[in-house]
Amino acid sequence: MNPILVGPLTVAGISTVLALIIAVLDKFLNNYGEVEISINGGEKKLQVKGGSPLLGTLAAENIFVPSACGGRGTCGACKCKIVSDVGPHLPTETPFMSQKEIESNIHLACQVKVRKNLEIELPRELFSIKKYKSHVEKIRDVTHDIKEVLFSLDDGEIEFVSGQYVQLVVPPYGEIKESVQRAYSMSSKPSERKHVELLIRLVPGGIATTYVHKFLKEGQAIELVGPFGEFRVHDTPAAMICVAGGSGMAPFKSIFHSLHETGAFPEKDIWYFFGARTSKDMFYLDELRELQAKWPRFHLVAALSEPSPEENWQGDTGLITDVLDRYLQTTVPKNDKGWEGYLCGSPGMINACVNVMKKNGITEDKIYYDKFA
Amino acid sequence: MKQSPADKQAFQKMIPGVITAAGFLGDDDRSPERIIEEDGIFFDELRLDFDAVSDKLEELQHRGEAGLGEPITVGKLLVQSGDARGMLPCPWSDGFFHKNAVSVRPADVPIESCVEGEDMLIYSELSVHMLRVHHFCQGRGSPFRLEPALIKRLLF
Repeated sequence: MNPILVGPLTVAGISTVLALIIAVLDKFLNNYGEVEISINGGEKKLQVKGGSPLLGTLAAENIFVPSACGGRGTCGACKCKIVSDVGPHLPTETPFMSQKEIESNIHLACQVKVRKNLEIELPRELFSIKKYKSHVEKIRDVTHDIKEVLFSLDDGEIEFVSGQYVQLVVPPYGEIKESVQRAYSMSSKPSERKHVELLIRLVPGGIATTYVHKFLKEGQAIELVGPFGEFRVHDTPAAMICVAGGSGMAPFKSIFHSLHETGAFPEKDIWYFFGARTSKDMFYLDELRELQAKWPRFHLVAALSEPSPEENWQGDTGLITDVLDRYLQTTVPKNDKGWEGYLCGSPGMINACVNVMKKNGITEDKIYYDKFA
Repeated sequence: MKQSPADKQAFQKMIPGVITAAGFLGDDDRSPERIIEEDGIFFDELRLDFDAVSDKLEELQHRGEAGLGEPITVGKLLVQSGDARGMLPCPWSDGFFHKNAVSVRPADVPIESCVEGEDMLIYSELSVHMLRVHHFCQGRGSPFRLEPALIKRLLF
């Protein structure tokens, strides 16, 4: 044999043998057999095959813990309390945990491997979350970068409260080799149980939004998981001060149409502040004005932050926070019922609105929001 | 360029599905060390400095945040600073970075006509860190690639 080949071939041979040994050991040492997951003190008991992350193991049993990164440990959404001892937190978990959460044994379900019997605690609402098969009934451009997508559910009906969200299951496409899930607030009314409508804004570089804007077609089958979330109208007489921008319109569209349809919370006045940059970014204006005309307790304030002179915009101008501040000081009636804040948008927008609301006397415990992030 | 163990480990994390679903290499068939080497040459040729570019990108991100999620005009540029849920680790394991996406494009070009990577820069806090510390612009075809020629054209 050529002596030059001896070295590389020897190394390759040793590597192959080592890989085989590792594979064989892995098969025996990592075979955890069947284990039991006890949820909420035995309220639910699952017999599962050990060895996989808790998040996927629960999903296989139709218990869907919210997750936006497919279990890569980068979204921090799949927090759950592990009552059993599963060892210290991994370095991949700690960036998402407060000291209090670490002390309470909160873990990321995607980072906990099911190796032995586990006791965990989950919010009971998660038990009613389902995966729905659907197909895309209609896609409509509402602005140059926001699509309204209507999904028709193929297998059953969805029960949800206006303000809640679903996770859209985006299948692999192009360079994306695995399915990913992203959360979107539902813009449809709860009474439309066979349909789910979402407003999806194109995020430059965004995997799910790029898929929806460039690949998703009418008639296509797609899965949705939900409903999730705590954002909803609170049963008080206080006036709702609602603020949104862009696709943050979604939960409010659902809330307003549902309240108008059902007549729920009749004491509540509703003020809706919606901000966009130019009139090209503004949408549903005619529909909302029509609603305002026939529904006296609904007040719409649409504002543009950077209108050009040729747009001939007649409405309010400025950042939505400045417009909100102005209206709270001069126009929105102050009475005994008080005000509540409802916000949907980016964390920056939420934080800025919270500051304006607090400055105008709305206490933080009465400001409810659905942060995109 | 000889590959250090840290680089080798980092490069393994750049493929799709490890840290992000899309990874950091796009459809570039060059090795990551080759990408770093060749982009370093482009930076020199274009008289760009990694720290100065990173500073400028961070400045635009912060100015974009004033738009509260909507695009905002900054000089001749339109900047949109958006957020996503969670944090991303650097492939070189030297930090966690808030998930976000900042887009920068000429204010006079409508977004419909913008081609990602040709007219519009998209970056995150992690992108800026990798540029500043590791001189890594990401592979061609990665949506978050910081193309040196585009940086020069848009920012300097």
